[in-house]
Amino acid sequence: MKRRNFLTLSAGTAAGAALAACGSSGPADISTGGKAGGASYWTLSGPPGESVRQGAVDRYNKANPDNQIKLNLFQNEAYKDKLKTAFGAGQQPTVVWGWGGGGLKSYVEAGQVDDLTDWFAQNAPVKDRLFPSSFGPATINGKIYAMPAETVQPIVLFYNKEVFDQLKVSPPQSWGEIMDLVPKFNAAKIAPFSLGGQSRWTNMMWLEFLFDRIGGQSVFGDIFEGKANAWSNPAAIDALTKTQELIKANGFVNGFNSITADSNADQALLYRGKAAMMLHGSWSYGIQLAEGGKFVKDGKLGYMNFPGVDGGKGDPNDTVGNAGQYLSISSNATPEAKETAKKFFSSLLDDTEQADWIKTGGVPIIKGADAKLAASPDADFLKFVYGVASNAKVFAQSWDQALSPTAAETLLDNIAKLFTQSIGPQQFADNMNAVIGK
Amino acid sequence: MTIAPPLAPAPVETAPPGSKLAGGSGSVSWMAWPALIAFTLFGLVPLVGVFLLSFTEWNISGAVKPAGLDSWRTVLADPDLLHSLWVTFLIMAFSWLVQTPLSILIGVFLASHQRYRAVLAVLYFIPLLLSQAAISITYKALLDPNFGLGASLGWEFLQQDWLGDPVLALGVVVFVVSWQFIPFHSLIYQGGVRQIPTSMYEAAQIDGAGRIRQFFSITLPQLKYTIITSSTLMVVGSLTFFDLIWVLTAGGPGDATSALAVEMYQRGFKANLMGPASAIAVILVLCGLVLALGLRRLGGRNQADSQLEGV
Amino acid sequence: MAASVKRPRLSQWNFLGGLAGWLWLAIVIVPIYWIVITSLKVSGDYYSTNPLVPPTSPTLENYRFVLENDFVRYFTNSTIVTLGAVLPAVLMSFMAGYAIIRGGAASRFLRGVNGLFLMGLAIPLQAVIIPIYLIIIKIQMYDTLGAIILPSLAFAIPLSVLVLSNFIRDVPKELFESMRMDGATEWGTLWRLAFPLTRPALVTVTIYQGLTVWNGFVLPLILTQSPEQRTLPLALWEFQGQYSVNIPAVLASVVLTTLPILTLYVIGRRQLLSGLTAGFGK
Repeated sequence: MKRRNFLTLSAGTAAGAALAACGSSGPADISTGGKAGGASYWTLSGPPGESVRQGAVDRYNKANPDNQIKLNLFQNEAYKDKLKTAFGAGQQPTVVWGWGGGGLKSYVEAGQVDDLTDWFAQNAPVKDRLFPSSFGPATINGKIYAMPAETVQPIVLFYNKEVFDQLKVSPPQSWGEIMDLVPKFNAAKIAPFSLGGQSRWTNMMWLEFLFDRIGGQSVFGDIFEGKANAWSNPAAIDALTKTQELIKANGFVNGFNSITADSNADQALLYRGKAAMMLHGSWSYGIQLAEGGKFVKDGKLGYMNFPGVDGGKGDPNDTVGNAGQYLSISSNATPEAKETAKKFFSSLLDDTEQADWIKTGGVPIIKGADAKLAASPDADFLKFVYGVASNAKVFAQSWDQALSPTAAETLLDNIAKLFTQSIGPQQFADNMNAVIGK
Repeated sequence: MTIAPPLAPAPVETAPPGSKLAGGSGSVSWMAWPALIAFTLFGLVPLVGVFLLSFTEWNISGAVKPAGLDSWRTVLADPDLLHSLWVTFLIMAFSWLVQTPLSILIGVFLASHQRYRAVLAVLYFIPLLLSQAAISITYKALLDPNFGLGASLGWEFLQQDWLGDPVLALGVVVFVVSWQFIPFHSLIYQGGVRQIPTSMYEAAQIDGAGRIRQFFSITLPQLKYTIITSSTLMVVGSLTFFDLIWVLTAGGPGDATSALAVEMYQRGFKANLMGPASAIAVILVLCGLVLALGLRRLGGRNQADSQLEGV
Repeated sequence: MAASVKRPRLSQWNFLGGLAGWLWLAIVIVPIYWIVITSLKVSGDYYSTNPLVPPTSPTLENYRFVLENDFVRYFTNSTIVTLGAVLPAVLMSFMAGYAIIRGGAASRFLRGVNGLFLMGLAIPLQAVIIPIYLIIIKIQMYDTLGAIILPSLAFAIPLSVLVLSNFIRDVPKELFESMRMDGATEWGTLWRLAFPLTRPALVTVTIYQGLTVWNGFVLPLILTQSPEQRTLPLALWEFQGQYSVNIPAVLASVVLTTLPILTLYVIGRRQLLSGLTAGFGK
């Protein structure tokens, strides 16, 4: 008797989705709080996005009293665990906020999120106003599984103009110039580059750019497509070698492996003039603006796209980062909830939401948003971001989001080892080849 | 799945078989039921689920596929497992070695009834109350090579690559664990010391025993059971120590501080490999069981003679 | 046997202890000092001031910010969850430990139960969180405080049983024997003999489990979702942005969280210590 209970329960545990399906009214009812047409929506809390997201939901709910969106906000790291557990138990919300790419792909393969291709075809106006590049991470095997939303966030090379003026040098236009600048800054007791190395993804941005600039987009493209030994591509080895050369030349601030990005210590090094340059997401602008005193307002913050590598095949106009954020619809939601979700999607990025994002220092993924940027006090930077995003022929996705979660975890692990120099380029490539396509 | 039989011979020392308990064991069995029911529902049932999952392949979002012994083979053949067992052992051993002597010394120090020591005891207590998030923010900030303690005081030796060097990072984990838990264990020892009858020290003094000899011949032996209790909490607790390591180092740099619980979390929740993660969880449970049995043996029997002279 | 009678003249001979005590004070106090002064800083000043120098113009802005964010509710929730889980858990464990020690020799059932608890010592919470989530949904407790209490209670049991049964085992059999002679039932013996003698262990275990539950993060995260059910560890979110942390605000919240408990400790310290020294020498 007891034995059987254990087994049924454990089997239910294992096949969470199946168990949830046995429930009387499906998973939506725990999170929507009642009404049939209601849809639940989980997303990230905290500045800068929380108030904008809340505002968008509030405006939608006001206009649609009959089928409401129930918003729940979670902190970034906590959200990832919460969402994963919910998927494991078949209790995911109707609208799933995410980063697209590899994570989305694993949901698609498990049949957990709906194909939105037809819906976009029927609602061309919704699709046509968004950046075409924003659909990249939403597209799996030629089909669109997510609604691109929010802002575009390329990775930018920030620099401290004051420090450059002091040393009478100019921002690097090539990898060679970067390596030339390193000893000059070190001699002046200023770290050439700030880096929050403990956070791992911060190190990854260096590889993303170097791979692209040296070998063009196909280097990571091959990895992404799962070609055997793609990490051993000579361009990849070259990029990994160059990274370690920069580390050996003391290109990064002392003790960078102990610095975390989420405490903003890496950004403080830049605005305090302890470091000359920093590769970081475009969102860092808002943080430096808020915390750096007058640093940004006095025009001391410089920014540019990552320079080219001499003789490299990549286009220096290419960029990497987040082409947008992504909203998917759970397959196991009720048809009514799905309708509500789609209606909500159509309401997103209205003029108010665009203005809200611009106020936070973000560029909404809307064609022609540049016209709205001029009025912002941060117009220069926002226009720069808009320019980078719209000029890039390739807007590559961050690797840890493009790859499957399994491969991404191995990648971050090996990147940490590469940057502490406990493994070399060859070993890195071997370790990574082992998880290609997984 | 009945789990009891293979485990039945757990070496529980019990009331002497000869003594006839009033009403026999039947009259006490029911007292175990409330705990058993609560633990079964939320501990045992999920544990059985995990055990079964270790024979499957599951990426959390997809369907569960039976995979036989695949996960076990992957995990057992992976040098990472040995490494994280080793890391777990190091953290356990070093945090015990650091915490126990210090806690005893501090506990003895606090046991005396002086007002200023009472004030100290209150200050010591504070780290216990801090959440993992608070501790990680504090220590990451203080250990920051550019904005931390070392830079503030200008002391070179504090300006290390604390979280970037494998050995130092492990040291930091042990230190922070000790920082948080020594107050708790010294509190236990403080209680233990206060129970030692003064007459024993008086007798020792008459015999001309020095202070250090008194400590070793009276205080320490008298604290034996306190030491066992506190060590049990330390050692078993360190097995499941996850949060603090995760927020401090996330198992890094590389895998230098990747204890079993961290390794399990990374495979399960970060890499979506629930099969191997479940296998590691089962290994953790077994480690806990072995440790508990070992500690029980250490607790040593012969209670009758070790016991009564103290009363 | 009252604690106050035994006042060992430890102070005279405990030089090493004194050294350790003062050294430890320095180690404990520096981070705490840092937490307090940083909580009084403006977040914009955080990286432009020396971390160990108090702010020239301290601000209570962070505290206001924290208090406005429903701090009192989170505090109440945490208190309910901690008490609701730990008190029953310790009492149940005490009863189970007693049963195992008194009846284990004669009962296979009790030995089996003991084995089960030993297996529960090192269950990693993250490994079993998905099944727990499913069970909570099944019994329709999702997003209630009870959803946090029940698993926390269950997870506190194995270690509590281990520690408490170790203690009960060391109660001299003669005492049980004389209770039996007096005609006491097992139930009576449990409360009149074992309970007072086990008090130090009960207090120890209660504090240990209480702190674990108080600082627990995973269960509240997974098993609740609405802000009304949030506990203190989750409340720190309010100050963690998508890309960065508002360190002074987090620390202000930490100070506010800690103060009431510290006050309780100061008031109850004597009782706590006498709890730890009740019973007889071990």
